[in-house]
Amino acid sequence: MANVLDLRRRIRSVKNTRQITKAMKMISAAKLRRAQERAVASRPYAAMLASVIGSLMRRVEIYGPRTGELRHPLLLSRAEKKIALVVVTGDKGFAGAFNGNIFKAVLRFLADKSDKEIDILAVGRKGRDLFRRRYGAAKFVADGAPPQARRRAERAAPIEVSGDFPGLLDQLSIERVAEMSREIVRAYSHLEIDAAYLVYNEFKSVISQRVVVERVLPIIEPGRPEIAQARGMELEERQRAGRAAMTSGVSVREPDTEEAEAEARKFGTAEVDYIYEQPPPELLDGLLRQYVTSQLYHAMVESVAAEHAARMTAMDSATNNASEMIDLLTLTMNRVRQAAITKEIIEIVSGAAAL
Amino acid sequence: MADADNRLKVRLVTPDRILVDGEAFAVELPSRSGCLEVLYGHAPLLAELGVGWVKLRGLSGQDSQEYLVAWGFVEVLPDRVTILTPTVDKPGETDHAEAESRLESGRKLWNEAGEDPAKYEEANAIIHEAEVKLEAAGRGA
Repeated sequence: MANVLDLRRRIRSVKNTRQITKAMKMISAAKLRRAQERAVASRPYAAMLASVIGSLMRRVEIYGPRTGELRHPLLLSRAEKKIALVVVTGDKGFAGAFNGNIFKAVLRFLADKSDKEIDILAVGRKGRDLFRRRYGAAKFVADGAPPQARRRAERAAPIEVSGDFPGLLDQLSIERVAEMSREIVRAYSHLEIDAAYLVYNEFKSVISQRVVVERVLPIIEPGRPEIAQARGMELEERQRAGRAAMTSGVSVREPDTEEAEAEARKFGTAEVDYIYEQPPPELLDGLLRQYVTSQLYHAMVESVAAEHAARMTAMDSATNNASEMIDLLTLTMNRVRQAAITKEIIEIVSGAAAL
Repeated sequence: MADADNRLKVRLVTPDRILVDGEAFAVELPSRSGCLEVLYGHAPLLAELGVGWVKLRGLSGQDSQEYLVAWGFVEVLPDRVTILTPTVDKPGETDHAEAESRLESGRKLWNEAGEDPAKYEEANAIIHEAEVKLEAAGRGA
C-alpha cells in the first residue's frame, strides 16, 4: 500500500488540476454567454435574406421563357462529381467530444461519397490538422500569385484539403467569410465543383445542439436548409450539459426570438408590386451570393457558441471527477495512516508483553 | 409636414445584430445605381446598395445620423425601410490602415486579373469600397 506522503502529494496534484478545470469552466461559461448572444443576434439577418430570396423567386421569372431552364447558376443542380466540403471545428481541444463528433460526421459523409472528388475547406485548427494528416493538402502552382489568383496543381488524391483559414474563428469577421464564400460561389459557377456542403455543430441552447451536414450549393429552397445528416445530443450528454450550465449560471432555455423571427420573415414579402431598382435577375444574383455568405457566417457563429458550451460541460465533468478522486484518495490516506498507527501500537503492546 | 403620423420605421440590420430600430422622417440611401431619398409614403421598392452613406434624418429626436455601408439590400414600404448590409461603420469608426491595405489588395487583384472579366469586376468593387472608406476615414480625422 502507498504511504501517506505519496497520497498527500497525489491529493495536492489533483486539487491543482481541479482548480485549473474549474477556472477553464468559468471562462468558457463567460465566453459562451457572449457567443450565445451573438448567435441569437445574427439570426434576423439570415432570416431576412432567406425570405426576400424566397419571395423574389416566386415573383421573378427564374425560368427562361423559351428554354425552360433555370436562369441562375447557383440554383442549378447537377450530378455530383466534385464536392467542396466546409468543415467547421474548434481551434482548441479540451472540449469533450465536440471535435470528435464533427470528425465522425465528416468521415461518414466521406464514406457515403467515396467515389467522388472532394475538397475539404477546414475552418478551425483541429480539423485542419487532422484532415491534412489523413488526406494531405492540395498542391498549388507556386508562381507567387496572391491567394485569389493561384492555380490548382494536378490532383494527387480523391480527397484533399484545399483551403484553411487560420484564426478565422478567433476573430470572426464577415469580410473574411465573404472572401471564402466568393471563392466557393466562383468555383460552383465555373463548374469546378458540383455541390458544396457544410458540416458544423448547430447551437440552439446548451442542451439542444446537433452536428449537421448541410447542403449550401446548389440552393434549392432558401430559408429551409437541406440537411443531409444530423446527430443530436444523447440524454446523458444533455443531462451533463444541463448540470454544467446550472452550476455556472448559464441559461439552458432557448432564448425567445419567435417575435423577432416572425418580423424578419416579413422582409421583402409584402403583397405589393415592388419597384426593382436593379433588374430582378441582378438583384437575385446579389442576394444569393449574400445568402451563401450569411449561411457560412451563421454556421461559424453557432459553432463557436457550441464549442464553448462543450468545453464548459467537459470541464464541469472534469471538476466533478477530480472532486470524487480527492474524496477517494483522502479516504485511502486516512486508512493508511490509521493502519500505520494501529501497527505501531501493536508493536509497542506486544513488545511490552514480551518483557 | 413633419407631424407624428408620417414617420418611417427604420431598421438597419447587420449579420451581427440589429443596429438601428427606430423612426425617422427621411432616409437617404446609396443604391447601386445612384443615391435615393425615401420619405413617408414611398412606393414599395427593392434595391441593392453600393458603397456610401445611409443618412437617417430625425432619428429618435436627433437631427441626423449617418452610417457608412458597403453593399447590401434595402426594402422600402410606404411606412418602413429595412436595410440589410454586411458591413457598417459609424462616422469616425473607419479604419484608415485597413482601408489602405484593402485598396492595395484590390489593385493587385486588378493587375493580375488577366482575361477574367469576373475578376476585374471583383477588383473594381474592392477598390471602390476601399476608396470610399479612405475618404470617410480622412473626413473623420
